[in-house]
Amino acid sequence: MNFFRKKRLFIFLMSMILLVVMIGFSINGRSYLTTPEQFINDTVGWAQNLVKAPVDYITTLVSDVEHIKNTYEENKILREKLSEYKNLIYQVQEIKKENDELRDTLDKTESIRDFKPIQATVVARSPERWIEQVTINKGLQAGVEPNMAVITADGMIGKIQTASEFTSTVQLLSGFDQLNRISATISREEDPIFGLIEGYDKKTDTLMFKIIDHSGGAIEKGELVVSSGMGGVFPAGLSIGTVKDVVPDQYGLTNTALVKPAANMYEVNNVIVVSRTMVGNADKDQQEGAE
Amino acid sequence: MKRLYVPLLLFFLIVVEGIALEILPADVVAGESMIIPHWLLIALVFSSIFYDREQSWLSVGYALLFGFLFDIAYTGILGVYMFSYGVAIYVTHSLKKYLQSNIYTAMMIGTLAIIVADGIIEVIFSLVGFANISLSEYIMFRLVPTILANLLFLIASYPILKHWLMKWGSD
Repeated sequence: MNFFRKKRLFIFLMSMILLVVMIGFSINGRSYLTTPEQFINDTVGWAQNLVKAPVDYITTLVSDVEHIKNTYEENKILREKLSEYKNLIYQVQEIKKENDELRDTLDKTESIRDFKPIQATVVARSPERWIEQVTINKGLQAGVEPNMAVITADGMIGKIQTASEFTSTVQLLSGFDQLNRISATISREEDPIFGLIEGYDKKTDTLMFKIIDHSGGAIEKGELVVSSGMGGVFPAGLSIGTVKDVVPDQYGLTNTALVKPAANMYEVNNVIVVSRTMVGNADKDQQEGAE
Repeated sequence: MKRLYVPLLLFFLIVVEGIALEILPADVVAGESMIIPHWLLIALVFSSIFYDREQSWLSVGYALLFGFLFDIAYTGILGVYMFSYGVAIYVTHSLKKYLQSNIYTAMMIGTLAIIVADGIIEVIFSLVGFANISLSEYIMFRLVPTILANLLFLIASYPILKHWLMKWGSD
């Protein structure tokens, strides 16, 4: 009997040590997974793809029925907007053409704004709520790499955390901490303000935008925050959110703007993985997302 | 062939758990209370009650294996679910010989397993710095909603899972 009690204690202690080792091995922001992990992720992702299709069909059917109710009202508003957009398109085309010509004359064809979009679909969301993570159905084979930005039509939702061959996991903005910084700017015609997005405040559901540069003057509520492209990984001009409030930090030296994300983190379906075409060699070692 | 049915069922549940939150309306998911689907754990509890013999510890092995798969697929932090599910099913399995197997004891054991597993998960995640809420907030916003939601699943799946597991375990 005594022997069995000792054996049980021994197993318990061994499993505690194993647990600590495994957590320690996996927690330190690895961007590349081991082959067995990739294989398991791909298998689960493949099965999720199969299950997701009929589930999606039913959920969209339900939401479609809800949408039909206010179609008439929406249609009126949309028709007005459409005529505005037509004008805008002509203007944008003209500006684009002019921009291209000017770039050609300058021999500068690459820009920090350029990116190659990779379309993907969300297949799963982590049931563990402390981990803000979704799985998408594109992986290394499609050109997805860790630390790439992930956007929806509304704005940025996160970055690629790990990539397997056929699936990858996205860390959502709501799971960002001080280790995942985005260099961002407030989009204005003059006096841009630069800073870093440093983490997410769960209590107010906002991103914390630490302002480095004070020259730009006061920030107003409702101003648009976009990525600045200075970090080297995320291209410039991805919309992140709007300023909700500005608070001084605890020492009163810098200001922190609370930024409400533009995209809804909880209704993500189709996403675009942003593969920046121009990556400086110097930036490669020191990537923005994993600072 | 029959031996493969339980692992297949557990794998299917892992896959469906990832979609569970997508089916719920976004307001519920974004709201304050955090509902965690522990369907895999419920199925493991059933398999320890109805599938395992007194002397076989197969369900604890499944708990470790599929907890590990869950860690890889959904959290990226290895060992958390593996350890907590393993302990919870070990407790369940040790309790089973004192109790009859009917739906009330299944509900009781299921609730206990969820408290043990989710409690360990919460402790580990707060130790490594992912979770940061007080004990009372944890009970109010995470533990109680999770238990209620999972009990619904337990009651709904009880007849069919019991039937299957008894049939698969009978030879």
